[in-house]
Amino acid sequence: MPLFALFVTLLAWAAAALFVAAGAMLTYEVGARYFFTAPTIWAAELSQLCLIWGSLVAMAWCLRERRHIRITAITGLLPRGPRLIAEAAAMLTVAVFSVVVVWKGFEIFWDSFERGRTTGSMLDLPIWITELAIPFGFAVLLAQALVEALRAARGEVPEDGAQGEGGMGE
Amino acid sequence: MTIILILGALFALLLAGVPVAFALGGMGLGMLLAGGFSPLMAPQAILSTLDGFILLAVPLFLLMSNVLLKGGVGRDLFAAVQAWVGHWPGGLAVATILSCGIFAAISGSSVATAATIGTVAIPEMLNRGYEKRFVYGLLAAGGTLGILIPPSIPMIVYGFVTEESVIALFLAGIGPGLALLTLFVLFSMAHAAMRGMGRAEVASWAERRQASIRALPSLALAVIVIGVIYTGAATPTEAAAIGFAAALLITGVILRTLSWQGLREAAIESMATTVAILLIVAGAKVFGKAIALYRLPQEISAFIGEMIDTPLAFVAVVAIVLLIMGLVFEALSMVLIMTPVLLPAAVGLGLDPIWFGIFMVIMVECALITPPVGLNLYVIQAVARATMGEVARGVVPFLLLMFVTVALLYALPDLALYIPFKL
Repeated sequence: MPLFALFVTLLAWAAAALFVAAGAMLTYEVGARYFFTAPTIWAAELSQLCLIWGSLVAMAWCLRERRHIRITAITGLLPRGPRLIAEAAAMLTVAVFSVVVVWKGFEIFWDSFERGRTTGSMLDLPIWITELAIPFGFAVLLAQALVEALRAARGEVPEDGAQGEGGMGE
Repeated sequence: MTIILILGALFALLLAGVPVAFALGGMGLGMLLAGGFSPLMAPQAILSTLDGFILLAVPLFLLMSNVLLKGGVGRDLFAAVQAWVGHWPGGLAVATILSCGIFAAISGSSVATAATIGTVAIPEMLNRGYEKRFVYGLLAAGGTLGILIPPSIPMIVYGFVTEESVIALFLAGIGPGLALLTLFVLFSMAHAAMRGMGRAEVASWAERRQASIRALPSLALAVIVIGVIYTGAATPTEAAAIGFAAALLITGVILRTLSWQGLREAAIESMATTVAILLIVAGAKVFGKAIALYRLPQEISAFIGEMIDTPLAFVAVVAIVLLIMGLVFEALSMVLIMTPVLLPAAVGLGLDPIWFGIFMVIMVECALITPPVGLNLYVIQAVARATMGEVARGVVPFLLLMFVTVALLYALPDLALYIPFKL
């Protein structure tokens, strides 16, 4: 597996682990509150951080595995050639959107980093820890979108991902 | 005019196969740039979405139901319900629907509900000579109870975008959920009676006791999750976390049916679904910001106000629009695109936002079982190895029952609003 693909896979596992960790923290929080009357100051904030980082770092994996929800009712009917063009165009749209979000997201992060802003909550964490997730996640997504566009240009039509048993949550 | 151009461009992006999250986000960003607004709003909107504590309930409810699914809880649940009602006319069908209803109370997803119960119930019903079409329709439709009976992921998302109480939405789903469940049960019994289906033997008390004991932990879990939310002992997010922990305890320690492999699959599956859902919510937030800056919801609301002056006409038009959209659109995207556009008009006509949320959820359920794009159809097709045509024809009577429920909900708003506001 090429290095980038491995990196993206590892990020996906990290995201899964972060969500499980969020569950553990909040369960602990409720237990601590009811059984020891000692609510934590960290559970809510850190579990939220897990959600933010987890969702953003796994975007690229979801793009590669075709797990983002998309409407294939029309493109599915197209013959091979136009379908590849649609695929490449779709991936380039994702790339363009990512470029702007990486750029503007980095500005937000850098501003907070330089000024040393903090969350102002009980933990008072530096706010850039949260904000860094945006430029980082979207940079990986940008790279993956370009990889996908290239694959389409080379004539590979990827199958839509298994919308596994857990499904789409609806 | 602007609105037609904007929605036209958005639909073009969506139909070209751009993932919904990025089509919405990209469209919103483009509008911000074109209107001379700061593009900083795009990353800010994404961040503020993911910073919502209520949305943390999404991965946790998914983890809970995926762990239960991998732990094979569906089989125990179905066996227990069957032991009690299997001898009724259409008993197996009734057991299937009731199992869907119970699993719906521990799962926020209709796809998970259809898959969990379908895997067990479909082979059993076919063996007993039930008509294929009826079986597939029953399971696809029964699965949709997953999002009407709380917890419900679309309700969490609706509550998040409209800033309405998720707890009130959850409670408001119970009445219509039970009404729909009852209609499905009555239809199943009538169907079996008309076809002259033989009844199963009455299960012995020993069988009932044994089956019930195995299903008891899952039943208790449903009661705990709803109870904790209802009494306010914990937030919906915390209730989801407790539910996840309890699901691990039940399948990993008590029943010992969850393998490491199963747990890993549940974790990765829940992660993928969460990311897909939350990014659409984030994209919709960017889009929502942009259309608000263009004052589009107000314009639409005024336009609708001129054209339609009764709530009934409005609800009917919205239902038809959602049904047509549901032919092509995936359900959650539909809620996210249409809610910010329609809610101001709905409230202007005197409709309750919680009521409107429940109405949207039932319409979304219809979208889940109407071809060509209906996730539940795909699930049943995959589980039963059936053709799309068989499944799609089977859902027609159930679709009609959903319309009946919508009509009931309109005639009796308290069907939804009594439990959250008057009890």
